[in-house]
Amino acid sequence: MMETMEGVPLGLYLAVSGALFLMGLLGVLIRRNPLLLLLAVELMLNSANVALVGFSRHWNVTDGHIFALVVMVVAAAEVVIGLGLVVATFKQRRALDVDRMTVLKG
Amino acid sequence: MIEVLAWLVLALPLLSCLALSLWPGEPPKAYTRAVGLGLPAIGFVLSAVIFAVLLGRDAGDRTEVSTLWNWVRSDTLSIDLALQIDPLSVLMMLVVTGVGSLIVWYSTEYMDHDRDYRRFFAELGFFLFSMLLLVMAANFFFLIVGWGLVGLASYLLIGFYYDKPSAVAASKKAFVINVIGDVGMVLAAFILVRELGTLDYGEVFAAAPGEMGMGTGVSEMVAILLFVGAAAKSAQIPLHTWLPDAMEGPTPVSALIHAATMVTAGVYMIVRSNVLYELAPYASDAVAIVGALTLLMAATIAFVQEDIKRILAWSTVSQIGYMIMAAGLGAYSAGMFHFLTHAFFKALLFLGAGIVIHALADQQSIDRMGGLKKHLRVAYLTMAVGCLAIAAIPPFSGFFSKDEIIAYSFAAGDLGVVLGIVGLVAGGLTAFYMFRLFFRVFHGPEPEGGYDVEHPHAPGPAMTIPVVVLAALAAVAGFLQVPEAWHPLEDWLAPAITAAPDLHPSGAQILISMIGGTALALAAIWFAHWMYVADPGRRLRMAGTLAGYRRLLHDQYRFDHAFEAAAVQPGRDLGDGLMATVERGGAQGIPTGVARAAILAGRGLRLAQTGLVRTYALAMVAGVAILGVIAILVVR
Repeated sequence: MMETMEGVPLGLYLAVSGALFLMGLLGVLIRRNPLLLLLAVELMLNSANVALVGFSRHWNVTDGHIFALVVMVVAAAEVVIGLGLVVATFKQRRALDVDRMTVLKG
Repeated sequence: MIEVLAWLVLALPLLSCLALSLWPGEPPKAYTRAVGLGLPAIGFVLSAVIFAVLLGRDAGDRTEVSTLWNWVRSDTLSIDLALQIDPLSVLMMLVVTGVGSLIVWYSTEYMDHDRDYRRFFAELGFFLFSMLLLVMAANFFFLIVGWGLVGLASYLLIGFYYDKPSAVAASKKAFVINVIGDVGMVLAAFILVRELGTLDYGEVFAAAPGEMGMGTGVSEMVAILLFVGAAAKSAQIPLHTWLPDAMEGPTPVSALIHAATMVTAGVYMIVRSNVLYELAPYASDAVAIVGALTLLMAATIAFVQEDIKRILAWSTVSQIGYMIMAAGLGAYSAGMFHFLTHAFFKALLFLGAGIVIHALADQQSIDRMGGLKKHLRVAYLTMAVGCLAIAAIPPFSGFFSKDEIIAYSFAAGDLGVVLGIVGLVAGGLTAFYMFRLFFRVFHGPEPEGGYDVEHPHAPGPAMTIPVVVLAALAAVAGFLQVPEAWHPLEDWLAPAITAAPDLHPSGAQILISMIGGTALALAAIWFAHWMYVADPGRRLRMAGTLAGYRRLLHDQYRFDHAFEAAAVQPGRDLGDGLMATVERGGAQGIPTGVARAAILAGRGLRLAQTGLVRTYALAMVAGVAILGVIAILVVR
């Protein structure tokens, strides 16, 4: 079991990570619902985690694992604030569409 | 012992100024009176003690220098905070504290109904301190310090009624013109430091004849530059125009600062620097000529003035002209003698005028006076003494001092003869304009429509006694000195006036000055009587004669207009021009341009702010992509 795991090459890790990141990025750029935007951002953060874990295994050190844990904590915190904002915005506007949130237009 | 007393004399008026100004709120009037009058009066008593001590010593032993501490020490220059107590400074101290105390006493009643009682006496105390520093300093450095401080005191007191635009303008004018003089004094001090390396009186006067030389350019330059200071402070042509305007101040101020003491500082300075002036014959002649021109010019202007204080102001300018002329001709002790008698009779005349003004509720035009003889008996008699003294009628004091100047002028060469004749003629003019004032105020009919007040009220004792004391002094002070016969004042001053030329007017010259002067003065008084008393209507019928000259006199020989055209207006134009170009274009234009550019840039950049989160995200991604490409290219 360990051997098969060790057999996974770094390239595959990075491919999965890149694919996840692109999906997240496209989600951020295309989606209009702020809840889904947050979801996409989570996706991008976790793609970075996959890459970190892959590198960590490749170089046989644990730094990457620790970083991945830190990223998770940060992501959890970010989601708490983000969801709070979304709920607050929804209470005021009764709509969830980032394209209509243009108060900051110069 | 006298050193301590001298420092006390200097410190007391300053203490009075501080004790009044630091009192929280407006102090009780009794306190203001006690401090404002008491401390300068003690100063006078101490000055008298110093005088008595010096009088008990030998003539050669009457100069003492007292150093408090070293003020400036540099490689080659050392300046001490030091006082010089010698016959000349003691004479000045007696006059400043004595006449000063009398005038302060007078002010306690004169200013009683006025505002800012405390401020007035605090500023008078400050003035007395500055003036004492000026006359007691033992070097040119503290002379200039005192010189500047009396200018400040004069500025403050001319502008005492600071919400009156004309008073503010007058104080500003006095200050600006006096600063011109200060610059002259400072430049002279610079030359002395460069040439002699010291500013100490004793060292300068000892070294100057050897180091600077007789009649050299440096000596002439120092004397001329010092005279610029004297001309500004003592209101000599062409820096005289501030003094008549200075009459905006309260009348006691005019009496003390602008008649008796401060304006004679120039005379004191020239007499003090007699060694330097004897080294500069051309500068001395220039000084004498300026003095004679000033005395003639001011006497004629006084003919047409209607304001009682302005008549006296022009008369002051004219009388200082006598002193300056005497000093320029080398008759230093004669100049100081006239300073002394003038301090008495001019203070008397101003205080008498103050009684009249006070009685008529601040009316100053002699057109609104007349027939006051029966209302203001004391003022009438004392003013009569003052007018006779200034008109040089024997045996009043002005007779001796003025005729001494004229007699000494006759003895001082060809220039002296010419200037002596000018002085003689101007003496007649003086008698005329003074009795024009006297007759129109006290004799003649009451003004049309009556006085501005129901009954002109006689002054109380605090205003009467100083005037009577001054009248007594103005009457008898002349006997201090009679040319060639009796000269205690000259002997007293001799240790301080070391370089004076030995002038000895002949008997004929003395007789011409005395008899000629008296005859001219009597004729002028008779003429004034004929014109203003014998037939009061004559003045109005003659109003059209010499209209052109009278207009020139009303314009005061157009000095103010000339300054306006030569200095003030070009200065204003320069300021306006610089405002329009440098200020608007550069100093203001550059910041305005930068601000406008920032606004335009902001206006352009705000188009990028769409408010759409996804645009920002796309821009961020694009930016990261571009940076990534660059990073890859660079790493390669």
